Amino acid sequence: MTTSSTSHHRDCGSPEHTWHRRLILQGIPAAGLAATSSFAGLFSVPALAEETRRQGKKCILLWLCGAPSQFETWDPKPGTPTSGPFSAIQTILPGVQVSQLMPKSAGIMDKLAVIRSMKTEPSEHFQGIDALTRGDTPRPPFTRPILGSVVAQQLGQLDSPVPQFVLLDPCPEGNEFKAFKAGNWAGWLGAEYGPVRAGGEYSIPNLLRPATISELEHQDRESLRRFLSRKFENDQRSEAAAGYNAAFARVQGLMSCAPLFDLDTLPEADRRRYGGGAFSQHALQARHLIENGSTFVMVANGMPWDNHVYQHEMHQMLVPELDNVIFQLLTDLEERGMLDDTLVIAMGEFGRTPWLNEARGRDHYPNAWSMMLAGGGIRGGVVYGATDPMGIDVAENEVDQRRLFATIFTALGIDPHAEYDIPDLPTFFHVEKSAEPIAELLV
Amino acid sequence: MPAIELKRTTNFRLPMAILGASLAADESTLLTGCMDGVYLSSVEAGTSTRVAQHSSYVSGVAWLPDQSHYLSAGYDGQMQWFDTATNKATRQQQIHEFWSWDMAVSPDGRLIASVTGQYLAGGYRYEPQPEREPSVVVLDAASGEILWKLPHVPSVQAVCFSPDSRYVAAGNLMGEVRIWDCNDGSLRSSWSTDEFTSWGIIKSHCYLGGIFAMRFTPDGQHLLLAGMGPMHDPMAGNGKQLWQKWAWQQEQPDKVAQINKDDGGEGLMEALAIHPQKPIFAMGGRLRGGDWNAALFDLNSGERLATLKTGYRVTGLQFSADGNRLIVTGTQGQPKPSREGSWEPFGRVEFYELG
Repeated sequence: MTTSSTSHHRDCGSPEHTWHRRLILQGIPAAGLAATSSFAGLFSVPALAEETRRQGKKCILLWLCGAPSQFETWDPKPGTPTSGPFSAIQTILPGVQVSQLMPKSAGIMDKLAVIRSMKTEPSEHFQGIDALTRGDTPRPPFTRPILGSVVAQQLGQLDSPVPQFVLLDPCPEGNEFKAFKAGNWAGWLGAEYGPVRAGGEYSIPNLLRPATISELEHQDRESLRRFLSRKFENDQRSEAAAGYNAAFARVQGLMSCAPLFDLDTLPEADRRRYGGGAFSQHALQARHLIENGSTFVMVANGMPWDNHVYQHEMHQMLVPELDNVIFQLLTDLEERGMLDDTLVIAMGEFGRTPWLNEARGRDHYPNAWSMMLAGGGIRGGVVYGATDPMGIDVAENEVDQRRLFATIFTALGIDPHAEYDIPDLPTFFHVEKSAEPIAELLV
Repeated sequence: MPAIELKRTTNFRLPMAILGASLAADESTLLTGCMDGVYLSSVEAGTSTRVAQHSSYVSGVAWLPDQSHYLSAGYDGQMQWFDTATNKATRQQQIHEFWSWDMAVSPDGRLIASVTGQYLAGGYRYEPQPEREPSVVVLDAASGEILWKLPHVPSVQAVCFSPDSRYVAAGNLMGEVRIWDCNDGSLRSSWSTDEFTSWGIIKSHCYLGGIFAMRFTPDGQHLLLAGMGPMHDPMAGNGKQLWQKWAWQQEQPDKVAQINKDDGGEGLMEALAIHPQKPIFAMGGRLRGGDWNAALFDLNSGERLATLKTGYRVTGLQFSADGNRLIVTGTQGQPKPSREGSWEPFGRVEFYELG
């Protein structure tokens, strides 16, 4: 893996990377001296780059919660009664158009794969979010882990101080998404595979060591706490103590990585390039986290796409923001040599109705909708599936959430048909019903 | 002022949503701007003919006062002039890069104004970006020459002229009103009210709403604004039906009246009309909660005089020249197509007699 200028990155200062510095200084002095100024620099050392590659692929999920309109994004229907007010523009792929609100994506369609034939069942948000983030509908009392948890478990490094699964979402509310966020994300994988949440009001508090405590004192306190807790855990066979220890370990890791969660540490030029909105800023932060060791970052911003009213007023703002985020993210990842290893997904929980309601809105529509994938393991320049002339139903190559997840897992190098190996758990697979990945979308 | 009875006398439909309407001076023909083009309708027969199209929705239409021409403006940013005698377009002019949200013809027929602006995320809290093109354009109605390009903050969603045609006012997403002198393009007044705009807390951290209709009072001293009160969740569309009346000519513009607290239900108000003789105005829009979506008010006292529950979203209101009729236009929700692929008409036109 190669990276560009070190000015884009900051060392999170974690002990793990201190160890890396020592390794470099001891074993690979010539390369190491030049590389210690940043995380990215570390990866320019061949041995470490190979180690990083071995660690597997990464994923950024641009979670378009509330459900965007396919007509105003990837599947415009110009000249039809369902088209809406925005026109369609030609992309660099012959014969392929997208909404006029997506000129930047139109110019990099050779890097994108768009599925225009999503057809799913849930038509309400909570159920839709559940199905499209977990890959299947519920089977109580068992809770299937969310995509980020599976990817973190399969590809992440649990011993890394950098959180492997991060949710960036500044909106504390979100209606059904709020309820969903309050639920069990990691499911049967266990809480250690749940996300660390950050962003906006969810800036992680108290991550910085108080100035009144020296680093030495801090380490001494932690050593004492760890010794006593472990002793208690061992003496009492206490699962609770083990849980506390795991939580402390996580906090220790977070403290060492605090700069990764500080938007203000990101270069101003990058921040301007991504755009001012919270979603854009957190997409940039997602890139930064992925560069520095996170495995799965989910970027959300409440539930802004649920435009039952003000459909066009909202989409005129949200879609250009998404368009720019996709362009900047893929361009950055490509420039850094990370695109082949980083899967970028942009989707919501369903689509919007072809017809407009009285309140100038589009309502929920799972029958025929679109989403996008790009990067790691995905073949660019593919538009898969199609809808009928007015976008009312899928006309060819129907895709449900299982096939989508089979495709995502395969692109990430995860066997979609592998069984979860968890004691006392009934037979569950990464993807149920032997759903096959979409071969046309895979590299 | 005594309550007014409204009696429906005319009712017909157009194929798709009506976003703008204007009754001809002889009151026999209704000009409408719809999602799918410009229509002329016979009021008596209730029949309609599409005479032109834009490449997107038609957002506004108007007759020139001498009735020689009529105009349309659309979400394609284009304005079209039509010869009334032939119904042929005599001029097509691109006046905005983005939509024409609203347009107006000055009472003397000399000027046309159109407003535009795309709401784009500017800051972390989704403050609007500065305009990328002039948000307000004033044209010579006869020649189409652009006389003034005036700055505002996008999106600018409503525009109107003063009764003496001297001033043009425009209101935006953020509840900011700007008024310019059409003689020299100078800004004469500006103020903000945050009572029409919502910042989403529940679902969306961004701004929505704003001023959707505005009219000067006949004496030119006041400006009426219409829209919807702020909401926690703008996408619920459940803000209070709202009008405000502002004295704008003083150094510090002052809100002198607004809808009585108990008179308003919930829903976005996007149409205003001033009665030609009496101190009465009409406001209409969408019913989200409550028992009316169009109503008449006393211009002086603010008292509500009559209500309508139309069963569709009102996008246009106009009084007949004699003030005896109220023309209400709008749209129902777009229905699902039939199995054969046809669509039931959902643009609505109604005429009401004022008792």
